[in-house]
Amino acid sequence: MSAMMEAAEQDLSANAAISVRSLWKVFGPKADSVAGSPLADLSRADLLEQTGCVAAVRDVSFDVAPGEVFVVMGLSGSGKSTLVRCLTRLIEPTAGSVLVGGEDILTASPARLRELRRTRFSMVFQHFGLLPHRRVIDNIAYSLEVNGVKRDLRHKRANEVIELVGLHGYANHYPEQLSGGMQQRVGLARALAVDPEVMLLDEPFSALDPLIRRDMQNEVMRLHRDLGKTMVFITHDLAEALKLGDRIAIMRDGAVVQMGTPAEVVGNPADEYVADFVRDVPKSHVLTLAAIARIPKEGEALDGPRLEASTLIRDASPVIAEASGAVTVVAKGEVVGVVTSDDVLRVISGESTAARHESS
Amino acid sequence: MTMVRGLLAKRWVLVLIVLGVWIVLATAFSGVSTLELSTATDTPFTAWLRDLAASIRGNRTTSPAFIYFFNPIRLGVQGFIEPIRALISLPADGDIIPVLGWLGVVALIGYVVYATSNLRTSILSMALVMGCGVLGVWADSMDTLAMTLGAVFLSLLIGFPLGVWAGLNDRVMAFLRPGLDLAQILPTLVYLAPLALVFLIGVAAATIATLIYSIPICIRITAHAVRSLKAGPVEAAQSMGSTPWQLLTKVQLPMARQTLILGVNQTTLAALSFVVIAALIGAPGLGKPVIDALTIRNVGDGLTAGLAVVFLAVMLDRATTAAVLHSQSYVPATGAARIRRRIGLIGGAVATLIAMVLSRQLLWAAVFPKQLNFGDQISAFLSTVVKWFTSTFEFLTSGLNAAFTALLLNPLEKLLAGSPWYLTIIAITLVALILGGRKVAVLSAILMVGIVSMGLWNDTMITLSQVLLATVVVMLVGIVLGVIAGRSARAERLLKPILDAGQTLPAFVYLVPVLALFGPTRFAAIVCGVFYAAPVVVRVVADGVKGVPSDMVEAAVASGSTTTQVITKVQLPASKKSLLLGANQGLIFVLAVIVIGGLVGAGGLGYLVLVGQSKPELTGKGLAAGIAIVFLGIMLDRIAHASAQRTDRKSL
Repeated sequence: MSAMMEAAEQDLSANAAISVRSLWKVFGPKADSVAGSPLADLSRADLLEQTGCVAAVRDVSFDVAPGEVFVVMGLSGSGKSTLVRCLTRLIEPTAGSVLVGGEDILTASPARLRELRRTRFSMVFQHFGLLPHRRVIDNIAYSLEVNGVKRDLRHKRANEVIELVGLHGYANHYPEQLSGGMQQRVGLARALAVDPEVMLLDEPFSALDPLIRRDMQNEVMRLHRDLGKTMVFITHDLAEALKLGDRIAIMRDGAVVQMGTPAEVVGNPADEYVADFVRDVPKSHVLTLAAIARIPKEGEALDGPRLEASTLIRDASPVIAEASGAVTVVAKGEVVGVVTSDDVLRVISGESTAARHESS
Repeated sequence: MTMVRGLLAKRWVLVLIVLGVWIVLATAFSGVSTLELSTATDTPFTAWLRDLAASIRGNRTTSPAFIYFFNPIRLGVQGFIEPIRALISLPADGDIIPVLGWLGVVALIGYVVYATSNLRTSILSMALVMGCGVLGVWADSMDTLAMTLGAVFLSLLIGFPLGVWAGLNDRVMAFLRPGLDLAQILPTLVYLAPLALVFLIGVAAATIATLIYSIPICIRITAHAVRSLKAGPVEAAQSMGSTPWQLLTKVQLPMARQTLILGVNQTTLAALSFVVIAALIGAPGLGKPVIDALTIRNVGDGLTAGLAVVFLAVMLDRATTAAVLHSQSYVPATGAARIRRRIGLIGGAVATLIAMVLSRQLLWAAVFPKQLNFGDQISAFLSTVVKWFTSTFEFLTSGLNAAFTALLLNPLEKLLAGSPWYLTIIAITLVALILGGRKVAVLSAILMVGIVSMGLWNDTMITLSQVLLATVVVMLVGIVLGVIAGRSARAERLLKPILDAGQTLPAFVYLVPVLALFGPTRFAAIVCGVFYAAPVVVRVVADGVKGVPSDMVEAAVASGSTTTQVITKVQLPASKKSLLLGANQGLIFVLAVIVIGGLVGAGGLGYLVLVGQSKPELTGKGLAAGIAIVFLGIMLDRIAHASAQRTDRKSL
């Protein structure tokens, strides 16, 4: 890597809310000796065989832009939960760096780390992790409390977030008196209480019923829209990842196998594994017109209705169906191509865009 | 699965072969090299111990170890306990009552219990304490209570911080664990004599012995309480930037409250049961009449004192658990209940203060009234009942005793103690090898050779034969009752009070009625051992059976198993680990009581320990017997433990 590129990358990561570089977490004897050695190139199974070590996170790098929702998706055992814990050192990473606002978390002193955890980060847990012996309001105020904020002030702030997440009237309840969905609202409120720069959500809705889960997803989208927090969201649910994520990283065996926008992941799976994952996703719900716009054939006029390239195919299809001929796709005022109902049908019928590109 | 079963079968087959050969050889060489030794005969080792003890006794005022270590500890402990006794049990010189008369004590107990739990438990506690007065043993009961409370306070003072530390830090736990494990297998009787030697017979030695017994229990449960917390809230609190101290005080300890209180409860009951036994080294209180009852066979007074111990045990048990363990909830009482309680607390405090003052001013409130003291009548009544019962059922009890002794106990004792010592050592080592592996076999052989060289072989084998038989009986009882309780919630509810009582009562207490029923025999000691160990084993087995996944049982039922088949083919095999754990616990509990059974004619090592305490010329023998008991305990525990682990590994 040239010095210039390195400098450019430095610059980029300095602007990022979180910047992760070559992060490793290895469990087992002599865990330190794996990263940066030839052992690092071994597959997970071979590494276990040869050294007795398990690499839960393997050489993971990514940047999260301020205000972005970055989703890490993978099946159980893919290392996603370990990864998110490494970001706040709830699990101590083996190698690599994690920069938050340009500051390396991994070299922070215990006191500085606590400081960061109290003010910059907050986390939401799959099983809520509420303190059963405290009222809702004192659960929410906990991180303010350990940071030495006076009782009046922290209760005032806690009451604000209680309103924000729709827990009005529950301040004096105890966690065991609430349903799962309500408990996770407390979890969300607790994470919002310190007004953090970054929220880490570790499968926050996996333990909830499907209907409640949908409500909570919408709640998170609303909060994100209103508050603009940077979020790292862990899930094993692809639909959830596509719904919430600005970008998605797909993990397998501790490594990131693909990173991109929902449309990129669904439209261009990096390998068989990802392709297998996204096979059943209704592509019209994910892909935009940009993915299927094509150069007009001879005789196709550009006088039909105009639609933005960023429109989801699903949302565009009523217009396309109504149109007598081709619909013109524009981006930034420029025509980028046309789409007809045939093109839409081809996507809906499950023909993958990748396959279509190959045949043409 | 078939392979595992084959291997297991092979293990049992091997053991049976060893047993068979052993029995044949033992019969052939019966009476040869049994190393039998009369009680009064010293070996070089016991003579050396005797002289050592004598020199320790002689040097108490001169040796630096005493001047700078043992004596200050003794005085410190004594200085802590005596004020508590002065408060409730021991009148100052020239006084007829301690600082508080009985009314004051009852009121104070009632108030403290009300403050820590609820009104019902408070009333029950006051009734039970007054019951001690009705039984005519007020002063002794107060002594036992004072000793117990003092010991509990010291246990918590030392055990709680250590337990928390061990719960938080693996290295501390690893450091403490061998001591905790040893404390669990050490029969209570064995450390009385050495402690009495360095701390003199009396309150201090008794308290320190009690602490040795109860502190490990406190540490263990406290560490477990901290360790077994749900990870989620702890992790969440960490993620919010708690310092370790904030984590401990705001999250871990409040969340662990229930288990911590259970720790206080167990520590209290352990201390009470030990204070009773510690009468052997001069603990004042109810233990003395119980021992008197055992040695001069005054059943009535012994049972009366035993009943008072039961009253105190129930009182302390309820007082330390009631309000908290009944609810699993963290939600506190609501507004109205809180106000009611505050009024109760203030009113109660005033009433208690008045009662305390009255108990110092008025005779009826100071000395427990004669009109309420039915001690003599109760004692006489109990004597009559026991006499009637014993004579009426003598055909049954003596028949049972005779049959058990002739058919099981004598043959086993003959095999262990009545054959050449080297043959027994080889046989036991082989069994240890088959069940527990090479390391355990070597350890067993070394321990047994050690016992032989101390000159206590024959006595040890007599004790061992009783321990083994009692354990077999305990396991049979434990499995039957455990399976019933594990399968039926109703049966469990019915058994629960009995099991609770069994685990709450000091072993000493039921020696009295058993002695009355079966006379001073080895069988009586075995019955006591069974009574003492059965509750634990039943509990462990029942938990194991309950822990078998219900879909496993459902699958067996769905494929047409009969109830017996479900039990024998699914529930028992699946809870094998619990069965082995139960056997291990059963062995250790039985050993502890069989040794005390020396008091009631069981002979063996326990008897030597006890005579060693009362006759100076036998001190060496008694101390050596204590060591032999420890060796025996370690050997049995290791064999049981290792065989459980090996079975566990194989079934994986």
